[in-house]
Amino acid sequence: MDHSALKVNQTGIVATVLVAFLGSGLFRPLLVLIPLLAVVLLLGTVNPQLALFKQLYFKVLKPRGIVKPRPLKDRPEPHNFAQGLGGVFLAVSSVFLLPVPVVGLALALLVGVLAFVNLAFGYCLGCQIYFQLGKAGLIKASRSTGSSGTL
Amino acid sequence: MTTQFWALAVASTVVLAAAGLERWRSRRARRRAIGATSSPAEDPYILYFTGEGCTVCRTHQEPALAKLGDVRIDKVDAIANRELADRFHVYTLPTTVVMSIDGQALHVNYGYAPAPKLERQLAEARGTNDVRVTATA
Repeated sequence: MDHSALKVNQTGIVATVLVAFLGSGLFRPLLVLIPLLAVVLLLGTVNPQLALFKQLYFKVLKPRGIVKPRPLKDRPEPHNFAQGLGGVFLAVSSVFLLPVPVVGLALALLVGVLAFVNLAFGYCLGCQIYFQLGKAGLIKASRSTGSSGTL
Repeated sequence: MTTQFWALAVASTVVLAAAGLERWRSRRARRRAIGATSSPAEDPYILYFTGEGCTVCRTHQEPALAKLGDVRIDKVDAIANRELADRFHVYTLPTTVVMSIDGQALHVNYGYAPAPKLERQLAEARGTNDVRVTATA
């Protein structure tokens, strides 16, 4: 799979959360970006064709040579799971945004931080959770390895 | 902006707590790993956890290990040696562990570790040994 698509996706998440977080201090309606991001991530998990940031990469950034492809032999399931988990957290965050904005913003910020950690350091917490759930037999996750690989 | 401030404080607390937990887990893994290998060593060495299906091990980690030169590398199949892998909390391949001469895990690298990083850790391990030798001489 093309890891540049993942990086663009993570960049999109970090940027959107940052704009919503900082911007909402000056212009409160910007908070709507958080539920929108939740929808984008959840739709992208269900159907990769609907993953906005990945499509931006495949349809615009890659063809124009703005971002170079970085194909690596890897399994997409852990990354999709991580994206879905981010979407779920943002959906929960959206529920809290109006009644308890501190909790809503804090949850959204955590998703942004985890996306940044993945972008900058290559550590995917959602992927680890995926494999741990697989090891516990709670989801059907293969223990074989892909590019880097997880036991 | 007060809301943003408190949200930032909450998120920071969670991140710091998670980092602290991870640090504690990592230290516990190191403590449990003391004496993990019985083979005697004259110099710090590396335990290299790998597996059959690990592509990055072949494309990245092994060339990086080859750059280290004359360093003992104990290759461990993490699937076949589950007990040893569990002792180091290996859940990602590749994982490299820099071991001191007395079999103590000094650095555990989950995921690909480039040669300069390993060289730095080995240098630190040698430095630690020098201090011990000096102290006991």
